[in-house]
Amino acid sequence: MASRKNERLINLTIALLATKRYLTKSEIFRTIEGYEGTAESKERMFERDKDDLRRIGIVIDVQGVDPGFEDEPGYRIHPDAYSLNLGELNGAEVALLSLAAEAWRGAALAEPAQSALVKLRSLGIASDFDALPNLSPKLNVQSHNFVPLTRAIADQITVSFTYTSAQLEEERRTVNPFGLGSRQGNWYLVGHDKVRADTRTFRLDRIVDQVEFTAKKGSFPVEPTFDVLAFLDSTLFDKRQIAEVSIRVGRGHALRGDAQIISSDDEFDLCRIPYSQESRFVDSILWHGDDAIVHEPIHLRNKIVERLQALVSAHE
Amino acid sequence: MNRNTPHSGLERTERLLDLVPYLATHQGIPIEELAREFGVTKTQLTEDLYTLWMCGLPGYTALELMDLSFDTGYVSISNAETLARPRVLNRDEVLALILGLEALQGDADSHDTELGETISQLVSKLIGLVDTSVPQKVKAGTTALSIQRAVIESAIHSRGSVVISYHSISRDEVSTRVIHPLEFSMSNEIDYILAFCELTTSYRTFRLDRIVAAKPSEVASPTSPHLDSVITAERIPLVLNVGSRLRDVAERFNLDVAPQALKSGTTLKVESFTTDWAMREIMSFGGEVSLESPQELRKSLQDRALRALNAYKGLV
Repeated sequence: MASRKNERLINLTIALLATKRYLTKSEIFRTIEGYEGTAESKERMFERDKDDLRRIGIVIDVQGVDPGFEDEPGYRIHPDAYSLNLGELNGAEVALLSLAAEAWRGAALAEPAQSALVKLRSLGIASDFDALPNLSPKLNVQSHNFVPLTRAIADQITVSFTYTSAQLEEERRTVNPFGLGSRQGNWYLVGHDKVRADTRTFRLDRIVDQVEFTAKKGSFPVEPTFDVLAFLDSTLFDKRQIAEVSIRVGRGHALRGDAQIISSDDEFDLCRIPYSQESRFVDSILWHGDDAIVHEPIHLRNKIVERLQALVSAHE
Repeated sequence: MNRNTPHSGLERTERLLDLVPYLATHQGIPIEELAREFGVTKTQLTEDLYTLWMCGLPGYTALELMDLSFDTGYVSISNAETLARPRVLNRDEVLALILGLEALQGDADSHDTELGETISQLVSKLIGLVDTSVPQKVKAGTTALSIQRAVIESAIHSRGSVVISYHSISRDEVSTRVIHPLEFSMSNEIDYILAFCELTTSYRTFRLDRIVAAKPSEVASPTSPHLDSVITAERIPLVLNVGSRLRDVAERFNLDVAPQALKSGTTLKVESFTTDWAMREIMSFGGEVSLESPQELRKSLQDRALRALNAYKGLV
């Protein structure tokens, strides 16, 4: 964009911020540098400038100057609506906010995190990292669909995308997005699948292409109480089922995370392990070979035995 | 709140507005440092400063224009009170900070109630800045690796060493070793650390999520600090026959194949660093994937399955 246009936008912002009363269009054209040409072209310029400032998040307040007599509206920017106000912040709080922004380095929200950091540093409060414990969180989500999906969720926009099925087939899905959440290192989109007419969960890294917006803002009603992590926990990660498993002493570390040991002998620890999806749990039991033997529940145990028999015959 | 759509041509307008409060609190900053903070070249930044120099309050005489000085290579600003407060955070910026804070919250010591309280207060302040429910609908689960990461990062900075407890998946063992971490890398949303390992006296990569514990160590510089001595283990070629669950196979064996190329009944070649890991992975598919070659591994895989099966027979 030309420097002249930028100069005009900055000058307009300064003038509207500095004024204590609403400025009419004719006052703006007369006093602010850059509005030139015919009355009509000035008008067009001003309309575009207002749209541009609003697009970057500046709130321009409009008011009829004298509602009884005149039609000409007045404009101003309220300093309170323009500037960042986080109340009183101390050095430790600024340091925490900086750490929060740093967590996005190299990930999906790296750019807004950096611009937020610039604004926070502009407050002129020195960060006090010594007041904090040594922490360095990291948000790993890489998907280029992360930002578009957060917008679709905010504005209730139906999206469509290509998704890799369990049989590696590419399927077109159309979804009203409710929320995004991460569990065990993966990010999931939860939403209403319009073809399957049901709430479904999609792993972000299995969305093949760019998510497309298929409708306008507000294309479906809000789910005000939707809690994405609670949903994931109650479906994919509910851990409502309990298995009794013998785990060889010194082995099965991946299984031991949530396990509670009931009894032990020289060779095995008998453990109670909560699990969520049976098929995933079967995989991880099988992964451990004869280091992990399931006793209860019986249907789980039968499934493992069946799978082991299939393994033996597949390798005859 | 409105948002800036990327590449709308308004990034420069935003940068110009954000430069003013940053300069107001960083008077005399070197021009190179300022360019780095805003992610632009020195030439671009100099152009920005010239543009700002032409802006100010209506009147546009020396009394009203902002006063910038940067010909010495250090930048200062004055007469810029109107724009001196940083702009409000936009939706993406607020979301980035909230998710970062929540990640911190999840990683922080749960007994540090004061820190937890401070983070919660900051989150609710930030939520109050935007009129959207997105922060409630986009949630990162905890990774709980923050402490390990912080210890390793500080060792990378100080060229120090770290004692880690590492869970080796292929051998299913937790071992303790001293490593000299060199750098973080990421692949497929998983963090890896390249380090010189004192236990094996070689360069190794470690998955961050398998480092069970980490603390600083006193061991001085590594025995062989040259990166060119990185030992690349020989890969073992395997031939698999895949019945179903193609997506799981592609993901776990890290196959970079076009989804269409993989069909049920496909024979495919994969590589693995350790035979133990490969056999366990194949076991976990419970007969839906079989190992065609090498022959001796096929035999020992069947033996593994038989051993596990026998353990179940013993229970009946």
